[in-house]
Amino acid sequence: MDWTPLILSAKLAIWTMLLIPILASPMASLLAFGRFKGKSLLDAVVTLPMVMPPTVLGFALLVVMGPRGYMGGLWEDVTGNRLVFSFSGILIASMVFNLPFAVQPLRASLEKLDPRLLESAAVLGLSPLSTFFRIVLPNCLGGLAAASILVFAHSLGEFGVILMVGGSIPGQTQVASVAIFEAVEALRFDDAFRMSAALIPVCFAVLLIINKINARRA
Amino acid sequence: MKRICSLILALCLLVPSGAFAADLFIAQAANFTPVMKEIIPAFEKATGLKAQATYASTGKLYGQIVNDAPFDIFLAADEKRPNKLFADGLAEKPFVYAKGQVVLWSNDKNFCGDDWKATVVNDAVKRVSIANTETAPYGTSSMKAMQAVGIWEKVQPKLVFGQSISQAFQFASTGSADAGFCAYSSVFTEVGQKGCFTVVDEAPPVVQAACVLKSAPHADAAAKFVKFLASPEVQAMKLKYGYK
Repeated sequence: MDWTPLILSAKLAIWTMLLIPILASPMASLLAFGRFKGKSLLDAVVTLPMVMPPTVLGFALLVVMGPRGYMGGLWEDVTGNRLVFSFSGILIASMVFNLPFAVQPLRASLEKLDPRLLESAAVLGLSPLSTFFRIVLPNCLGGLAAASILVFAHSLGEFGVILMVGGSIPGQTQVASVAIFEAVEALRFDDAFRMSAALIPVCFAVLLIINKINARRA
Repeated sequence: MKRICSLILALCLLVPSGAFAADLFIAQAANFTPVMKEIIPAFEKATGLKAQATYASTGKLYGQIVNDAPFDIFLAADEKRPNKLFADGLAEKPFVYAKGQVVLWSNDKNFCGDDWKATVVNDAVKRVSIANTETAPYGTSSMKAMQAVGIWEKVQPKLVFGQSISQAFQFASTGSADAGFCAYSSVFTEVGQKGCFTVVDEAPPVVQAACVLKSAPHADAAAKFVKFLASPEVQAMKLKYGYK
């Protein structure tokens, strides 16, 4: 049995999980504490990937990330490589696709923060940076954990978007979900079954580990 | 808000679902859709019968037929599935209704010389799209063409795979792939006309077979339709969309 698609899926899920806070935290803070015009608009934009059909989102990303798209063109100028049909490409697509799943739990945990805590910190002369690391972050670990678990699981099962911007290249963009789909289409049911069977315990184990870590932290 | 919602709901219920009584139910592989949309009105005019087609991938339609979907006739994108239905005693003997041709399509006019082989090995062409070589008949045919001229190994690192021939065309039409092995019929679409193409002569024609189902509820209408498919009128329509 070929383990490549499974390893690639795990790699994609882990990278997405590690990188998404960079994108999701500012959005979540804006939505939790921001008072500005167009906040509901931002909220809708962030949540859009959750309700859009994956193929539609995938096609939109294919256009934007293609060599003639704004983002793909810039990427090709800077790196000399094509963004679509590469691991970096599916990773970016995966982050866009997972954004609402990371923003929502983070936002909820930020909104639950007691404002008096922050006020006391300010009164006691704590700098904003140490306020963040000593008060905000420890209080939001639950939200961060929830976001991580959701994003990881969601990345493993991701199919429509990856199919559109990945091009199913073995070893580079052919993740497990795509490989399983192709095996079923080609009537190779044994392969499909083996890959699916291998995927389930892997997902399960990772979730258990993450849960354990969080239980200890909390 | 509530009012708008109920209005939308009411409208949804009023829109006809299209599943009216028809005299003939056709299961049509999606790649032949534009031709079929011309064939049906002509058939209705010629016979006075009402025909209705369902367009989906060959594999999905095959799955539905095996599970007793009430179709009369199945027009596939390959020969494999109709032959299998025939072998399993679910259909009459299959016949060929269309032949598709592989072309190399690009939306960059620089990539359409007379020689498609030179184009795909060209270093300026970084990515070439192709349909899944295992499940899509056009993909298999494109692969055979490259193997026949001995460039398969060389081009393989450039290949990106679409799940169907239409996805291979999407990759090429958005410029994500510099060129793509597509169906001749995509050349005739609105987007297809904006690009350029070279016919891949070395690719074996993609033979599309059809079969009348043994369980056909409207066997007479199906027989009339089969006869109509062989008419010069349909032949002209097929040519117009790049099928033989």
